[in-house]
Formats: sequence, structure tokens, C-alpha cells
Amino acid sequence: MTLLRLAWRNVWRQRRRTLLLSLVVVYVTVAVLFMLGFLDGYGESLVESYAAYVEAPVVVAPRAFFEDPDPENGFKTPFRVDHPRVLAQTPRLSLPALLRSPYRTLGGTLLGVDPGERAISRVPAKVAEGRWLRAPGEMVLGQRLAERLDVRVGERLLVETGEGALGLTVVGLVRSGVSNVDFYGAYAHLSDTRALSGVWATHLALKVSKGQEERVARELNGRLPPGLEARGVWDLMGPIRADYEANRLFFYPLLGLFLLLAALAVVSTAYVSVRERLKEFAMAESLGLTPWRLAGQVALEAAIASGLGFLLGLLLGYALLLYTATHDVFGPLMRLSVELLPEAGLAEHLYTALRPGYALFAFLVVLFSALLALLFPGRLLLRMEVSRYLKEA
Amino acid sequence: MPRTLSLVLFLLALALAQTPLDKLKAALDRLRGPAHEGVYLIRIERPGSEKVYRLKVYTDGERAHLRVLEPKAETGLAYLSLGQDLYLYDPRLGRTLRLPPSARGERFLGSDLTYQDLMGRDLERLFEVSEAEGVLVLTPRPGAPTPYGKVEVYLREGFLERVVYYDQRGQAVRELLLKGYQALSGAFLPREMELKDLLRPGYRTVVQILEVRAGAVPERCFQLLYLERGC
Repeated sequence: MTLLRLAWRNVWRQRRRTLLLSLVVVYVTVAVLFMLGFLDGYGESLVESYAAYVEAPVVVAPRAFFEDPDPENGFKTPFRVDHPRVLAQTPRLSLPALLRSPYRTLGGTLLGVDPGERAISRVPAKVAEGRWLRAPGEMVLGQRLAERLDVRVGERLLVETGEGALGLTVVGLVRSGVSNVDFYGAYAHLSDTRALSGVWATHLALKVSKGQEERVARELNGRLPPGLEARGVWDLMGPIRADYEANRLFFYPLLGLFLLLAALAVVSTAYVSVRERLKEFAMAESLGLTPWRLAGQVALEAAIASGLGFLLGLLLGYALLLYTATHDVFGPLMRLSVELLPEAGLAEHLYTALRPGYALFAFLVVLFSALLALLFPGRLLLRMEVSRYLKEA
Repeated sequence: MPRTLSLVLFLLALALAQTPLDKLKAALDRLRGPAHEGVYLIRIERPGSEKVYRLKVYTDGERAHLRVLEPKAETGLAYLSLGQDLYLYDPRLGRTLRLPPSARGERFLGSDLTYQDLMGRDLERLFEVSEAEGVLVLTPRPGAPTPYGKVEVYLREGFLERVVYYDQRGQAVRELLLKGYQALSGAFLPREMELKDLLRPGYRTVVQILEVRAGAVPERCFQLLYLERGC
């Protein structure tokens, strides 16, 4: 306790120096918290987009379809899964198609859906103009896709596949804020896509509670007939998942390095401070304090200096995260990203995540400071020639 | 006697009267001409540029084999149309590819023409035909796979002279003009075909028949093997 009081007093002897050091730690702590919240928020936004808009929380399909998404590899006959955690399920039929208006032809994927699948997908609730599908012969398009094709609600669009063609009337345009849906979404009645492909469905979309996706997929894989496979939303994401995981792999060591550099700044100042106070330390040692206790005191001083910055950084960092978790601060940035990477499945809104665990990661700066202080300025004290400094004193 | 004569004339008129659909079918039959082989020139005009293809064409009226003679970079590229099946031989790949049915509606050699314009029967298959002031007015059948809202077909002495495609907002988007029908072995063939993209000024494709020889075309011309070797 005496050591702590001594360290506290020493820290405030150089008030300006301590404040500057703390500011460095504040900056790094805020940066670390923000980056962690941003990364997690980005991941959550991707999961949300794919689970509720682009794909489904869990998808069951023949393994051959996952490997080669050709409708021929889909379900030839009706199929259902039985699992207590599956809240709803619906067949879907995805097939490559050419969409032709009088002005333009675009290739894309036509998704045959049951018009009543609102329990699984949020897309039906995002119709901005017109209405959702009700009957065969109708289709709904993503708003940006409709703009590119120059087709309006009420007009007929020619849908061609390798097997045949249909003239479908556009009854609604979707504005979901998820790039894949708005730029590429083309939805038709399941029976129309069956007529075009000759298969019952290409996959089953399953609704499960949030956070249960991977577990349900795993359990289903243990009980599905041979040749079928269940995949959770993470496995359905495609290249954007790799991008997200690569970001995590890149940012965690980088943030660790940030913390280490901040700790080094604290320790280098502590080193200078120790050198200035060597006579004082020699005196203390002559009065009975062991070199190890002196080194401990220096480590404690470094921990206090960085700890003060850490606490203030936590306060500011979490305040920033709270704000960005509740306000659409990144909207303009995300909208730009959506324009640049429309196929990535990014959402136009991104809210940061806010988890207590970030504080533990950021606390590393305090630990690094204390350990490094023990290692460098502390060692100076361990090797100190007390008699020499006492003479000088 | 006059009553009998009237009845005979009425029955004769009834027999000769063609419905609008009959007129369209007859005109489309005449569009293709007899079995023949010939050299076609396709001139693709774009604002500030022009590209010219010379094609060797073999057709029996139902099936067609087309080979690119010029430009040199695309020499050997060949198409074979067998009913609804369309094949492409690309000498650079050294492979024959079966194109999906949708390819019939694709731009042919990057021109404004589609294969459907050259060989197709979509007009009679997908549209209801009526007649107004001497013009055949085609409106899509319910659910018909066509992006057009209306097509107007202008006939002259039973020959297809002009076809105007409208979008679903009543705006003309494409215009096909056919000129210079010539009699060949009891059938007719237009010497020139011109297609204009009415939405993009300066986009025009002209097809001209440079040489033609009417007569039976060897059966091998419609076999896949000869698509690679040449007919």
C-alpha cells in the first residue's frame, strides 16, 4: 500500500509529463476500442444481410448444388427437415437467367420463392414501389436492377434460361439497403422457376434463432440423408467472409502493436524519469528498500500513468462506440462501398458493436507498460551501484 | 341464277380472305426465301465507326449454316441453327458450343440484329395479330416471353417491308426495313435488310445479299461435324 501511495505521488511530481503520457494511452485505447467495435459491427452487418436478405440463417441443399449451383443439382422431389430449432422453412429455386427489357439485357440469378416466405426473409417487407409477389407470372426486382434494365412496375420483363423463357410482369421494386438485393435481386414465383428449370427447388431456406445458425447446421448435418448438406450463414457468405476474416487477422496484430507502442512511449518516459531520480532511489535502497521493490515501484508508476489514460480512453471509447452503435455515422461511407462493390452483400448502414471484452484487450496497454517498465528502467535499478550515487548525493 | 352466283362469289371470297395471322405467316414464309447458298454482307454502323462482316450462308429455309469469311480476325467463326438449337464453332477455342435458347435473342456478331430477326418465328408465335388501316398490329399474348409492348408489321403486296418494335410505353425502339425482294426458284428473298436502333442515334445494321444461288444445299451443311470443317 505504501509502495502504491509512493508511486502515485511520484507520478504526479511530473504532472505535465504524466498528462502527455496519458493522452497517448487515451488515444490508443479509443482507437483500439473503436476498431474492435467497427470490425465486429461490420461482421454483424454481414451476417444480418446474408441471413435476412441475401440467403437465410441456414440453407440445406444437395452437396452437388453447393459445389456447382446448377438447378439440375437441386431437389428433384419435395423435401423438408425436422429439427426443433428450425422455426420456419421454405423451398427456393435459384437459376441463372437473362433478364431482357426492350432496352437492355442483363445476366443474373432469378430466385424462385414462395410468396408467403415473409417469416424467413425481410425482402418482402422492403418493397418500395408496387407490391410483393402474389401469383405466378409476376416478378419483383431490386430497385437498382430495375433502373439498369429501365423497367417499371406493371411492365413485362423477358426472363430466359437455358431451358426456356417467360414474360413476367414486374409488380414490385425492392429497396432493402443491402447491395446484393438492390443491385441483383430478381424474385419470381416458385412455380414459374419450376416451369423454367424442371426441378422442385435448389435449396431449403431455414429460419433459426440468431446465433444458432452454425449449431443447427452442424446438428442437421448429423441427421440429413446422404448427399445433402446444411450450411450456416457464415458458410454461405462467399468471398466477403474471407475479406472479413482477413481484416480480423490483419487488425488484431496491428492493434496489439499499437498498444505495445503506446506502452513503449510510457516506458521510455519512465526510463528518463528513473535516470533523473537515481540518487533518490539509491537513498531509498540505503534506507532498506530492496532493488526489486524499487523496480516494482517503477513498474507501478508506469502502470498508473498508462492506467489513467486507459480509464479515460475507456470512457471516451465506449461513448464513441455507443454513439456509432446508435447513429448511422457510416451511412455515407457504406453507401459508397455498396456502389463500388455491389456484389459483396454489404448493407448501406453499419452500426458498431459494443462489447465489454474490448476493455480487456485494451487493458494490454497497462500490462505492457508495467512489464516493460520492470524490464528496462527496473533493470537500471537492479544494477544500480548504490554507493556511487550516495557519494554524489 | 344471280343468287347462286352471289353465293359462289361469297364462298370464293371467304376462301381467299386471309386473316391477319395468315398474312403474317405468308409474309414470314417469304422472308426466308428458298433453299440457297449465298454471301451476305453485314455492315454494323456505330457513331464514328463501322465494322463489316462477310458471311457465307447455307440455308434450306428451316436450318441455316453461317460462316464468317471476313474480317480476318474472325474468319472461321460459324453458326449452325437447327430448329431451336443453335451451335457456335469458335476456331480460336477449337470447340463447338451449344448456345442456350436465349442466345437466339442475343445481338448477332455484335450487330443490332438478333438471330431471331434472321431466322425466327417469334412474331407469329408470341403475338396476337390484328389489322388496322392495312398495318398488322401485333400485341403480346398473355405471359409471352417478349419485352416488346407492340409490333407493327407493314406489308407491301404480301411482302414484309417494315417492322417497328415498340416498348411497353408506346415508344418505337427498333425498326427493321426489308428491301429489294427478288424471285428465286419460285420463292422470294429480300436483297437488303436494315435494322435501326431508334433509341440510339447512329446505331444501324445493314445486311446485303451479295451473291445468291438458289437450289438444294447439301445435307452435310447442317451437321455439326461440318460446322468445324466447313460445308
